[in-house]
Amino acid sequence: MDSSTPIASVAPAESEGGSSFWQDARHRLWQNKLAVFGLVVLSILAALCFATYLFPNISGYTYERQNLALGPVPPSRAHWLGTDALGRDLLARLLYGGGISLLVGLCATLVSLTIGVIYGAIAGFAGGKLDMVMMRMVDILYALPFAIFVILLMVFFGQNLILLFVAIGAVEWLTMARIVRGQVMAVKRQEFVEAAHALGLREGRIIFRHIVPNLLGPIIVYATLTVPEVILLESFLSFLGLGVQPPQSSWGVLIKEGAEVMEEYPWLLIYPGAVMALTLFSLNFLGDGLRDALDVRGSKD
Amino acid sequence: MPLLTVQNLSTAFHTRHGVVRAVQDVSFQLERGETLGIVGESGSGKSVTCYSIMGLVPQPPGRIEGGRALFGSVDLLACSRRELNRIRGRRISMIFQDAMTSLNPFLRIGEQLIEPLMIHEKIPRSAATDRALAMLDEAGISEAEHRLKMYPHEFSGGMRQRVMIAMALITKPDLLIADEPTTALDVTVQAQILELIKKMQSELGMAVILVSHDLGIVSGFCDRVMVMYAGRVMESARTDDLFYDTKHPYTRGLRNSIPALQMKGAELHTIPGQPPDPQHPLPGCPFAPRCIHAVDYCAQEEIVLVDSPPQHGTACLRVQKENLSV
Repeated sequence: MDSSTPIASVAPAESEGGSSFWQDARHRLWQNKLAVFGLVVLSILAALCFATYLFPNISGYTYERQNLALGPVPPSRAHWLGTDALGRDLLARLLYGGGISLLVGLCATLVSLTIGVIYGAIAGFAGGKLDMVMMRMVDILYALPFAIFVILLMVFFGQNLILLFVAIGAVEWLTMARIVRGQVMAVKRQEFVEAAHALGLREGRIIFRHIVPNLLGPIIVYATLTVPEVILLESFLSFLGLGVQPPQSSWGVLIKEGAEVMEEYPWLLIYPGAVMALTLFSLNFLGDGLRDALDVRGSKD
Repeated sequence: MPLLTVQNLSTAFHTRHGVVRAVQDVSFQLERGETLGIVGESGSGKSVTCYSIMGLVPQPPGRIEGGRALFGSVDLLACSRRELNRIRGRRISMIFQDAMTSLNPFLRIGEQLIEPLMIHEKIPRSAATDRALAMLDEAGISEAEHRLKMYPHEFSGGMRQRVMIAMALITKPDLLIADEPTTALDVTVQAQILELIKKMQSELGMAVILVSHDLGIVSGFCDRVMVMYAGRVMESARTDDLFYDTKHPYTRGLRNSIPALQMKGAELHTIPGQPPDPQHPLPGCPFAPRCIHAVDYCAQEEIVLVDSPPQHGTACLRVQKENLSV
C-alpha cells in the first residue's frame, strides 16, 4: 500500500502541529484572562519585592531605619503606606518582607515538589511491599507535630533562613508524595505504559518520562497551592518567633505585628494582609491556567 | 531451529476469589517469517499467551506457573529483566488492540517513535529521526516530517495504529506480536492495517503472531492457526487444513458461525451455551458441555493436544480415540 490511500492522503488539519510545546502552552495561557492577570500581578510584585530585597535602600527608606520621633503615622505622601510604631516605612518593610516570603515560598515548594514527586512516583510504580513501607513512613512523618519538629531543628542548628526552607520543604512533600503516588497508580495501568514495557524501556525511564508528564496537571495545581501554604507556614513560624528575626520582616511578621495593633493602627494589618491575599489569589489563578495550558490534549481550542 | 518455541506455558491469576487459570499447557513453534494466527472467544487466553511471552503479565496477581518460551537460546519466561528488555522492542515487538490508548498522550509522535531506536541501538538523535521519517513513510503516513511534531490526539484511530506499527517495526524485529490490531478500527481501515502488516512482513522477513477473534481475518492472513478455548489449545493446523479438514468440533462450530459462509436470510449458526467459568474448571474437555459429539469420557479424561500428521494437532478425545470425523 502506498501513501495514496484515503487515510494517508487526508491533509493534516491546520493545527499547531508545527509549533513547539511551549509555544502552544503560551498561546493557551494567553487565552486565559484570569491566569494572565495572576501572572502580571505576580511578576510586578515579585520584581518590586526582589529589587527591594537586594537593594534595601531603593525607595529611600529601608526596612530597618527607625524614626522614633515620627512614630506611627497613617498613609501619607511621604510614607505611602504609613509607618509602624518605630517609624519604619511600611512600604519598604512590606516589599523587603515580600522578598523573603516569596523566596521561602518558592524554595520550599521546589524542595517539596522534587522530593514528593520522586518519592511518590517510585512508591506508586513499585506497588506491593515497597509501596507499603514507603507510604507508612510518610504516615509516620505526618504524625510528627510540625511545630515541635521545627523547634527542635531551630534548637539544634540555630536560626537561619536556609534551615527554614529545609524544615518547611521537608514537611510539605508528604502530601505531594501521596497525591503523586495515587495518580501514578492510576496511570501505570494504562495501555501506553504496557506498550512502553513492551518496547523494552527501563523502569526509571517509564516512570519519569512516560508517567510523570501525564501528572503535570495535578502536580502544578498542588504546587501552586503549596506556595501560599508555605508562606502561611513561614508566617506561623515567624509569629512564634522561630522564623524571620527582627529587624528583618516578612509578610508573616508584618501581619502578626499588625494584628497586635489593629485597633490603633489598622493600616499596619490591612496593607500586608491585602498584598498577601492578592498574591495567593494570583498564584491560584496562574496555577489553574498553567494546568490547562500544559495539558497537550487541550490544544484543540 | 525455530524462532520461538513455547512449551507447556501455563499462566494463572491468583485473585481474591480463587485461582483463574487463564492459559494452560499451551505449546507451539514459530519459524522465521511464519505467520501464526491465534483465534478464540473473549477470555480464551489468547492475549494472556502473548502477554506471558512478552513478560507483561502483572505479577502479582498473575503468575507464570510453568513452561518455557525459547527465543533463540533465551527462555523469555525465566530470563532476567535486563535480558528481557534487550529483546523486547528490539527483536520482539508488540502492537496492542487499542491504539487510542497505547500511545503516550503527552509525548510527540516523533519522540515516541525514536525512543526504541535510541535505547536499543544507541544511535544519535538525528539519525534516529531520519529512520523514523522513513518508517512513517513506509507505514503510509504522508507529510511525515510535519506529523513527527504532532501529539497522538491529533491523529485518527487508523493513523495511530499505523504509528504503533511504525514504532514496533522501527528496530526491524524478528517477531511481531499483534494483539487484535484491528479490533478497534472500522472495516476499511482494518483491511489497510492488515495490508500494511503484511507488506512490512515481506520486507523485513519477520514472523508474526496475529491474535484475533475474527476467523475471516486469520484465514486470509496466516500460515498456521491455533484455536484456543478456555485457556487451552483445541486445534492447531495449517490454515487450509484447519478450514478444509477440521478435526475439532469446536473449530467446526466456529467455522459454521462465520456469517459470510451462510445463506442470506438463514438463521445464523451459533454454538449453544457459555464458555466455562475459568475459576471453576471442569474435569475433562472444557468444551464437552457444549459439544454435540460429547460422550461420557469427554467430561472425565484430561485432554492433550496430539499431533497427527502432517502437523495437525487436535485436543478432541473422540477424534483421537475413535477417529471421529466432525
